[in-house]
Amino acid sequence: MADVSTNSPRLILTDTNFRLWLPLFWIGLIAAAALFAPLIAPQDPLAQDLMMERLPPFFMEGSEPGYWLGTDSLGRDVLSRIIYGARIALFVSLIAATTTGIFGSALGLIAGYYGGWADRVISRLVDIWMAFPPVLFAVLLVAVMGTGLGSVIAAIALIDWTRFARVIRAETMVQARMDYVDSARIGGARRAATLVSEILPNVMPSIIALLMLEMGIAVIVEAILSFVNLSISSDDPTWGSMIAEGRGAIHFAWWVLLFPLIALFMTVLSFSTLGEGLKQHFDPVLK
Amino acid sequence: MTMTTAHAHTLDIINLNIALPRGQRLLRNVSLQLEPGEVRALVGESGAGKSMIGKAVLGILPHRIKRTEGEILLEGAHLNAMTPATRRSTVAKMSALIPQDPLTALNPVRKIGPQITDPLTRIHGWSHQRALARARELLDRVHIRAPDRVMHSYPHELSGGMRQRILIAAAFAPSPRLIVADEPTTALDVTVQKQILRLIRELQRETGTAVLFVTHDMGVVAKISQKVTVLFAGRVIEDAATRTVFENPAHPYTQALIAATPTPNVSAEPFQPVPAALITELHRETLAADALYAQRGRR
Ligand SMILES: Nc1ncnc2c1ncn2[C@@H]1O[C@H](COP(=O)(O)OP(=O)(O)OP(=O)(O)O)[C@@H](O)[C@H]1O
Ligand SMILES: [Mg+2]
Repeated sequence: MADVSTNSPRLILTDTNFRLWLPLFWIGLIAAAALFAPLIAPQDPLAQDLMMERLPPFFMEGSEPGYWLGTDSLGRDVLSRIIYGARIALFVSLIAATTTGIFGSALGLIAGYYGGWADRVISRLVDIWMAFPPVLFAVLLVAVMGTGLGSVIAAIALIDWTRFARVIRAETMVQARMDYVDSARIGGARRAATLVSEILPNVMPSIIALLMLEMGIAVIVEAILSFVNLSISSDDPTWGSMIAEGRGAIHFAWWVLLFPLIALFMTVLSFSTLGEGLKQHFDPVLK
Repeated sequence: MTMTTAHAHTLDIINLNIALPRGQRLLRNVSLQLEPGEVRALVGESGAGKSMIGKAVLGILPHRIKRTEGEILLEGAHLNAMTPATRRSTVAKMSALIPQDPLTALNPVRKIGPQITDPLTRIHGWSHQRALARARELLDRVHIRAPDRVMHSYPHELSGGMRQRILIAAAFAPSPRLIVADEPTTALDVTVQKQILRLIRELQRETGTAVLFVTHDMGVVAKISQKVTVLFAGRVIEDAATRTVFENPAHPYTQALIAATPTPNVSAEPFQPVPAALITELHRETLAADALYAQRGRR
């Protein structure tokens, strides 16, 4: 008998790989678009040209070269606006999800590990918080704090920290009861050190999965706030504001609505799929 | 201060009471001693409080469960008189645990190596090199064939028996004065159980470490221990040398426990469960003791 069981050879196209690479590809594409927008975008996203209004996408009759996905009712290039819109979408989701994740996970870890009054205070806060309808809450918050990137990020963090707190609290409680925590304590580890070096690595896959989900949600929330004109100044192209504008012209220029919608949908889907994939990838037991 | 007398017991538990927040006692006036190099078996039915004794000694009682009365001394030093930090480092320096379930006693997302060496560097202040060498030596001693490869493995890559051997190596690595072995063979299959038992006994003899060996198997008691404490509902009902307990058990419950143990040489004898009347009587005694305790507390 061998001392160490050998790992079975890994297949190239397993379910996990599929769940990892497909969303990674799309997110990579969007990230590249966001980073290199000025180099990639074929047109100026803000340039209006009334001679060019409502041009159809490239595969339809009457399209113009250089305006691949057509133009909106002010003659602005849809593709270029989607590319620039990726900047705000990704920036907001990255910052908002990280803020939300760190804050919510920290509270979840503390509540789940220390229990007692710390748990009671945090859990009660979560319950009260979750009684508010989230979108209404977001709109209210931005209305109070004023529009702008900071407000959008704060709104997302203030609404969604409860998701991290709840899930991570439950997982921490399960881990805290494991014998390895006792072993570490007997080995002289301090309570806080045990939490950070023994328990945190075990709940990390869940934190990452939630983080990805949160990035998807942040993209949606930003789009919703743009849609109701409460996000960034209305000059900057965002997917939400494009969808809002496209809605009015759906009967004569459906592409203005459809393409940003696809970008939004694919991005949100990619983030949540990637979250699940990463969770399995990082979990040595599930792998 | 922590005074150490010249000929102190390795472990001295005096009149220990452990209770839930509402006052429900889980340990009732428990006293027991371990001399240096001695193996004491701690037996009793499931829920008797065997693990609680070990947890109280090692300072890992669950949140809500508290010591309400009594003293625990490690090598003559009063644990309860220490600050939490001193207490933690004293316990870590002097004692170790061989846990019941090798599946959950190792952190699944950390490699084996650091899980053995962490306490050595953290508590004993050893260099990383020295800790590694010691881990290698002990893994070799518990018949792990490729110590270096194993130290780079994750727990799920190893079998249950291997993990238990690793936990034994980890427990003996810092040369502790006391090891609490909490049913270290229960989660393993029978053939592996024997190896593990033999390994613990060998290492115990080589190192002279005192072992508090929790089990509910009287057969194991006979093989490994010199002294026995029998626990029922958190009470010590018998405390004697192993030989005495088997030849001439004082308490009817102990007699029943021995009668209930199938032994190979007396295999003709039919299997005898502990009589229900005896259990009822013991529970009545426990209730009476609790009533008395509560009355005394009110005064
Ligand atoms: N976390 C807890 N909260 C409340 N009661 C507990 C807790 N853990 C154990 N108990 C109770 O304490 C008593 C003693 O438990 P303990 O684990 O010491 O039993 P044991 O003798 O080790 O039994 P076993 O052989 O099953 O391991 C039991 O009655 C049990 O129900
Ligand atoms: Mg037990």
